[in-house]
Amino acid sequence: MNLSLPPILALLVFPGGLFLIAGGLIYQWADRKLVARFQNRIGPRFIQPLADTLKLLAKEEITPVGVHKGLFFALPAIALAAALTAGLYIPLFGFQPASSFRGDLIIALYALSVLTLTMGVAGANTISRFSLVGATRTLTQLFSYEAPFLLSLLGPAIAAGTWQISEINTYAGQNLWLMIAQPIGFVVAMIGLMGKLELPPFDAPEAETEIVAGAMTEYSGRGFALFRLGKDVELIIGLTLVSAFYLGGLANPLEFVFKTLALLLVLALLQTAFARLRIDQTVGLWWRAGALLAVVQLIAIVLGRNLGSIF
Amino acid sequence: MAADTNKFVIPIGPQHPALKEPANFEFWVDGEIVTGASVRLGYVHRGIEKGAEARTWTQNLYLMERICGICSHVHATAYTLGVEKLAGVKVPQRANAIRQLMAELERIHSHMLWLGVAAHEGGFDTLFMYSWRDRETVMDLLEKISGNKVHYSANLLGGVKFDITSELAAEIHKGLDFLEERNHFYMKVVTTDETFIGRTQDIGTMTTEKAEFLGAIGPTARASGVARDIRVDAPYLIYDQFPVKVMTHTSGDLHGRFIVRINETFESIRIIREILDHMPQGELTTRVPRRIPAGEVVSRVEAPRGELLYFIASNGSEKPERVKVRTPSLCNWSTVLSLAIGLKLADMPMLLSGIDPCFSCNDRSISLKRGQQGPQVWSWEKLRQYGIEYYR
Repeated sequence: MNLSLPPILALLVFPGGLFLIAGGLIYQWADRKLVARFQNRIGPRFIQPLADTLKLLAKEEITPVGVHKGLFFALPAIALAAALTAGLYIPLFGFQPASSFRGDLIIALYALSVLTLTMGVAGANTISRFSLVGATRTLTQLFSYEAPFLLSLLGPAIAAGTWQISEINTYAGQNLWLMIAQPIGFVVAMIGLMGKLELPPFDAPEAETEIVAGAMTEYSGRGFALFRLGKDVELIIGLTLVSAFYLGGLANPLEFVFKTLALLLVLALLQTAFARLRIDQTVGLWWRAGALLAVVQLIAIVLGRNLGSIF
Repeated sequence: MAADTNKFVIPIGPQHPALKEPANFEFWVDGEIVTGASVRLGYVHRGIEKGAEARTWTQNLYLMERICGICSHVHATAYTLGVEKLAGVKVPQRANAIRQLMAELERIHSHMLWLGVAAHEGGFDTLFMYSWRDRETVMDLLEKISGNKVHYSANLLGGVKFDITSELAAEIHKGLDFLEERNHFYMKVVTTDETFIGRTQDIGTMTTEKAEFLGAIGPTARASGVARDIRVDAPYLIYDQFPVKVMTHTSGDLHGRFIVRINETFESIRIIREILDHMPQGELTTRVPRRIPAGEVVSRVEAPRGELLYFIASNGSEKPERVKVRTPSLCNWSTVLSLAIGLKLADMPMLLSGIDPCFSCNDRSISLKRGQQGPQVWSWEKLRQYGIEYYR
């Protein structure tokens, strides 16, 4: 579906800005509710994520001793901005992306990485010991899942012969679901997404029983709210990307809602099924299994294409 | 933090999400590897032992029960057994059977609570939620017997307050069937879940020799192959008529501790069924004098966490001369500190909870550390002067 809006509206209301933030909050609620129900809990009310955010925004923001002040205030804003920027290139809600050009897949992915990177820097910026350990773990995890996740999203890109998200989306909609054509890539992408979002069992960077809140320990009030919003936006973008690439594309709002929610359901199930992995286990898993699987998938795709053109 | 500033110290506690009660642990880390550990206890010293000296023998029964919020019955049992021995009173068999029944129900409740806490420390919140939901069953049973979920107050000096009727027995049987089925499920999860095994197997392995050397007790020691259990070694109540099997495991790691505790839960379920089926008939109470004859006694029972020891001294009056309590958690701290070295920081919460610590129970006295100096002895005069200066 195509929708042309004035650029200012596209930036502030749809698909950037307000809509993306609202969507992020709704998906955060859905995720929390699903996990809670799987764990035999009641879970939060629908309005809870919004209430949390407003409460945090209204609260006093404490600047801890020993931080670089400028960085401390700038990093949350950069994080949210990076996440929102990535939202401009994806087929949000089944509409054409607000902005599209050749190679925007790389831009979108790296905008998401900037979010994680700012969280790591934010942790390293303080002198809190929990934050420092959390920052180390955040960045270690970034280096471990990033390559396999990128490779798993390159699979559809190679199959479609383009690095433009909107074209891959169209290609995925016209062909056999890539989840079936490239099953290994799909699995790696799913688990990569969980690593990217620091969801259990990959939540070592914010393991509360070890390092309190990890890199975010010293953040309170507005800064923390912005980081959380950034995370929520990352969740919806990640779900959109994976379902657009692997679940047969997103052509209209109905498809978007169904496919992303189905994906979220699987994510929530996976979150509840495992104990938390240690950071060394996470890294080991990614480099030994994740990267290898993604490379195997890529080789299979390339071979398939070349052999196909020969015959 | 220690004076050595080259060390990177991660403090856990006194206020930390991993701890449910206050205590302070310091882990020296090199990256993620722990190179040293220290513990500081005493944040919840409540002066209960001193308080006991100002109360009558009967009042103390209720005070002792409040030492622990999880194993309240076993504290009261250790105390009453000691006092009854001093008084030379023989308690009816039926009362002993009911005491033992309550103690084993309490063990189930404590072990299931621990399973949840330990799983939570390892980031396995689903197991935490499930085991705590099912633990409600055993708490409901205890409530049906006594009217309370935590402080049952089943003991009296010379007997018990509550009888087990046949309707109650039927309900307990029903509850036990459910608990047994659920614990089979937890056993399956603990022994087959890949991520869970990855977090527990070969973590904090303690050999039998080391367990003996460090004086470990309870399930912690039994997971290292030390077959020691007061219920078997020095039977009290009617453990000689309804003997328990000592559950041991040879692995000595965290995984072994999970298996031992779940097996002990099965064993408790078996014992309770046996007691219910062969409940001795008779009175519930017998008379105990208000003044307990002078003397000293040591009373030992097997709490869910290990050996619980009471030393009680009487001078022949209505109040005890001295009550000394040694809870099992205290004996197991050294195992945590010595096993921590070389492990990952991420293993620390699970290692800590692996001994099923109960901080509030074991806090008996405070010693202050000031820099590198050891504990100091202050004269009364110096202490008084310090107080005057401090509040000036």
